[in-house]
Amino acid sequence: MPPGKTLPAQDIAAIEAWIQGLPPTAAKAAPSRYWAFVKSAKHAVPTVRESSAARNAIDAFILDKLAEKSLTLGPEADRRTLVRRLYFDLVGVPPRPEEMNSFVEDRSPKAYEGLVDSLLADVRYGERWGRHWLDLARYADTNGYEGDPEWPHAWRYRDYVIDSFNQDKPYDQFVKEQIAGDEFFQIVSAVPAPLPEPEKQVALSFLRLAPFNRTPVSDENRDSLLSEMTSTVSSVFLGLTVGCAKCHDHKYDMVPTRDFYRMKAFFATVQITNTGRAGGYEPADFYKPGQKAWADETRAQFKKDVEQSEADFKEFQKPLLVKLTAAKKLEKPAKPKPEDTKPEDSKELTAKDLEREINSENNNASGFDKKPEIFTREEKDRYLQFTERIGRLKKAIDRLEPLAMGLRNADGPPMGPNVPTTYVLRRGEYDSLGEPVEPGFLSAIEGHSNPAVLELDRYKMFPTRGRRMTLANWIVSPNNPLTSRVMVNRIWQHHFGRGIVETASDFGKNGTPPSHPELLDWLGNRFVDEKWSVKAMHRLILNSSAYRQTSYKTDKRAEQDDPDNRLLWRFPRRRLEGEAIRDSVLAVSGRLSLKPGGPPVYPPLPEGLDEAQKVQGVNTWETSAGEDARRRSIYIFQRRALNMPFLETFDSPVFNAPCDRRRHSITALQALSMYDSDFVNEEARHFAGRVRSETGPDVAEQIRGAFQIALGRAPKPAEVRQAQSLMAAVTPVANALTALCRVLLNSNEFIYID
Amino acid sequence: MAVSRRDFLCRTRNGIGALALANMLAEDLSAASVDPLAIKPQHLPRKAKQCIFMFMAGGASQIDTFDYKPALQKYAGKPLPKVPGLSGEIEGFLDSPNRTIPSPFEFRRYGQSGRYVSTLFPKIGESVDDLAFIHGIMVDNNNHGPATMHVNTGSQLQGSPSVGSWISYGLGSPNQNLPGYVVIQDPRGAPVNGAAVWGNGYLPASYQGTLFRSTGAPILDLNLPKGLSREQQSKEFQLVRWLNEQHASERPGESELEARINAYELAFRMQAEAPRIVDLSTETAATKALYGIDNPVTEPFGRQCLLARRLVENGVRHVLLVHGVEIGKYSWDDHGNVKERMPQHAAEVDQPVAALLKDLKARGLLNETLVVWASEMGRTPFINDLKSDKPGRDHNQYGLVMWMAGGDVKGGATAGETDEFGIRALNEPIPLRDVHATVLNLMGLSDERLTYLHAGRFRKLTDIGGRVLNQIIA
Repeated sequence: MPPGKTLPAQDIAAIEAWIQGLPPTAAKAAPSRYWAFVKSAKHAVPTVRESSAARNAIDAFILDKLAEKSLTLGPEADRRTLVRRLYFDLVGVPPRPEEMNSFVEDRSPKAYEGLVDSLLADVRYGERWGRHWLDLARYADTNGYEGDPEWPHAWRYRDYVIDSFNQDKPYDQFVKEQIAGDEFFQIVSAVPAPLPEPEKQVALSFLRLAPFNRTPVSDENRDSLLSEMTSTVSSVFLGLTVGCAKCHDHKYDMVPTRDFYRMKAFFATVQITNTGRAGGYEPADFYKPGQKAWADETRAQFKKDVEQSEADFKEFQKPLLVKLTAAKKLEKPAKPKPEDTKPEDSKELTAKDLEREINSENNNASGFDKKPEIFTREEKDRYLQFTERIGRLKKAIDRLEPLAMGLRNADGPPMGPNVPTTYVLRRGEYDSLGEPVEPGFLSAIEGHSNPAVLELDRYKMFPTRGRRMTLANWIVSPNNPLTSRVMVNRIWQHHFGRGIVETASDFGKNGTPPSHPELLDWLGNRFVDEKWSVKAMHRLILNSSAYRQTSYKTDKRAEQDDPDNRLLWRFPRRRLEGEAIRDSVLAVSGRLSLKPGGPPVYPPLPEGLDEAQKVQGVNTWETSAGEDARRRSIYIFQRRALNMPFLETFDSPVFNAPCDRRRHSITALQALSMYDSDFVNEEARHFAGRVRSETGPDVAEQIRGAFQIALGRAPKPAEVRQAQSLMAAVTPVANALTALCRVLLNSNEFIYID
Repeated sequence: MAVSRRDFLCRTRNGIGALALANMLAEDLSAASVDPLAIKPQHLPRKAKQCIFMFMAGGASQIDTFDYKPALQKYAGKPLPKVPGLSGEIEGFLDSPNRTIPSPFEFRRYGQSGRYVSTLFPKIGESVDDLAFIHGIMVDNNNHGPATMHVNTGSQLQGSPSVGSWISYGLGSPNQNLPGYVVIQDPRGAPVNGAAVWGNGYLPASYQGTLFRSTGAPILDLNLPKGLSREQQSKEFQLVRWLNEQHASERPGESELEARINAYELAFRMQAEAPRIVDLSTETAATKALYGIDNPVTEPFGRQCLLARRLVENGVRHVLLVHGVEIGKYSWDDHGNVKERMPQHAAEVDQPVAALLKDLKARGLLNETLVVWASEMGRTPFINDLKSDKPGRDHNQYGLVMWMAGGDVKGGATAGETDEFGIRALNEPIPLRDVHATVLNLMGLSDERLTYLHAGRFRKLTDIGGRVLNQIIA
């Protein structure tokens, strides 16, 4: 070094001598004083001069920093703006006109706080905020890689997340369930643990949601799997890029490679039940009230459908088999294979032979094989329809089996081998074993590299059990300097568009330092004091003046001195995410289905994606009909190899790794989606229908109604005139209102929230 | 510059055309002061201004295409001798009982260079003097998923940007009415990993490949909604614009609002311009015959190649063509029956690829277009199935062959060499990152300089840096 060069020899000698001359104590690892690795202090809430502007401690900290630059918070936003802001933030759809009016007219002193509470209690809150968590969990409904096979039970994790947010499950509990859901039961006598509670088994899916390469080289795959778990757990819960240390000591943070493998060692006993299918499943009953009965009933109905379809299919195949037999008799006999026991012409043709023939004809579409075709296009299409229908029904049944994508610990002695040793892997290569390590916590935080004291059962009967719970307990310990600050920072990020630490999954030296370090500390401590309640933290943030202030730039000097708005002298205006845009279009057309939970749905794909969604000629996108096609976007089937274009164009990424912050791009492809897609155009028609039925035939009233529904306000006189002018120019006149509705859906105001 | 971008566009709306400062279709306009797809200068002077990357999905056998291995004849039907330096899955294959399968196809010398090419590719053979070959490329994984990711994105894990994304990021793209990076896959389906193959990974979204449909209208949602005329749409767009301008004027200094206004302008123009560029009906009958559009076997890939020519002709920076799908009959993944399947693959691509090379040359475009022919891995000269009378080949991450043409590629040159069995490099394998470094270099980009800060590291396509294969550069 430096790269491409070498230091002069005498410099090397000087450095060597200095190292040799260091006293032995200087070489010992000392606990880092880096802010993120040190438990936050208990700061006093600053006193502020303008006490009227401060509603709570958050305001005090914000005003304190603003005051350093002689700035202050902006004026409060008007009531309409606050309602829209809260609705989009907490439930992800716009308020209905009557909901808007109800708040605007409510002059009671705690009206705003009341609205916050009622939205936090709304089940749509879990669907909105659960989506942020799914981004971190790299959630998808498929495996990725070859064939991109489905994970039929991943959806149960998605519902688990939504429910956990709705129930305000304490965050420490949420963390423990996802890392060690199978290790909750305290073993107090010498009997095995019962199966984990179904909800906790479902929670364990978290560890398995990364794309998984199922090729045969098993040591390498196991290393990939466990390394990914290690890396993800650290970035999601600890906000640290420990994954960087898989191959070498972390270049910036005090995380040596050993520490990566010491953390990986907590996962050493993980075992995935391999049923040969993608996924591998653990039993997990349906635990929500009424869900088991519903699942049993639905499965039974599908099973009846399968039987009926299979019977119909068999009938359909009969004449085809006759045709095939006749055709085969005319063919020259093939060379007899040694394993054939019957002579050629007495062989009875079976359904398998029919399948082979039809597949072969379908594969020969380009006419390369010069064989004559036996079946017509109609017959082949109908055959395919049957197989697809039966295939879909069987998949639908599978999705409703009481299973989850969980995992378990390997059986220890005497049934299985003892806990496997974890080795440091040199350069991260799976077959390059370095020194063995014991499970242990990050030395940068602990100040030492001693092995962790594992929480095993006192009888030592189950030596493979308890590691992950040990890790989870360390993560959510009130003494852990990172966990609570990382989570409150994420919550802050989704409310304000940017975290106090902008790099929400990197609190290390290469991340951005906190804009308000004392506030972050204070919030982290408060989170723990409030028993890790996420809703309590929401309430604190949402009720602050900082959150309620206007998004307009009202201070020229603030614009100059803090153009980035790092100090929060106004509320940041933002664009909605793809899911919220789609849900809002449906909310406004009146067609959004609020049916919660359950297996994924498949809204129609745009016409051009017919080929892209096929795997080996088979349609994989089981387009939903009716209400199911219009459910909230969080329920859409997330296929790794094919992102739903409407969402993708609005920056919904394909989740291969945790995503802590989405982009908000602006592209002409988005404009095309919003203007030309079948989806928006159909909903614009329904939006117009809704306006017509709610306001009647008068054009001016229709215009007012459309603005109220889409934008939450009355149109200005100039807007009414412009709208009338457009509508008058539309032919045929029946399309005039649809045209206006389409225009409103495409306005900036529809998706940029003040 | 004192004039805002919107003013500039207003004044040039009437067809000044492709100006370097103009916006791009898939451009992220949110950072108003920097156009993500504005043209950027090359790091080093190279002739190629655009790239056509042809990816054969499934693992094209080097032994039956461009790597002539007559020595295999003497081992036909017998186990292949032990080859050192293999590991993982393929080492396992070779350790197990196996038999050697020489190429069932004749090879012959082509062109002035007298290079050996399989007679399955006679038309490509005619252009062989323009091609530079790379033999014995090593890919990091012996299976389709990770190997496809590795060849297309430089990493076998999903989540890294594709070659086209890096090139768009490094150079921008000239045409303001089309995406800078276009993908056309096989009409029969998607490659393994689907959209991840042309994804932008951790680069901004504007650098992702835009998938054009292989049949019918190429761009999704490009057509006006049913029943809406362009004239009507124009009136509606005017109202959208007016509303947005009012909205933005009440919220001064929000560059995103302005950028979105521009995005709609672009979309409107693009609806008109792009269909013309992707409409093949204006090509002469002779050109269509050259590409084999009149023959059902060559029509699909012929269409892809012809469209690629039109796109680069119209200022699209990078075009990815995929031939072959996931797995199955339409993939190059010939585990069985190489004797019948290889001719089918070859028949579908030989004429179109050769046509593309000839057509580019005739129009003076080959000098400024880098053409790359690739697959995700090579194949084995032996198989473990001792009984089948329709033998195929297994995966071989050590034996990949690729060729390049156009730009500063030195026609007739070779990099690397495989052993007498065609199973791996004779000496040091050429790691894929060297190939990637070379592709970038031929486009005028240095893989070391073309970096993006992500998760605390300056990432690059070649990850740890690759060596440019100077022997194939003129």
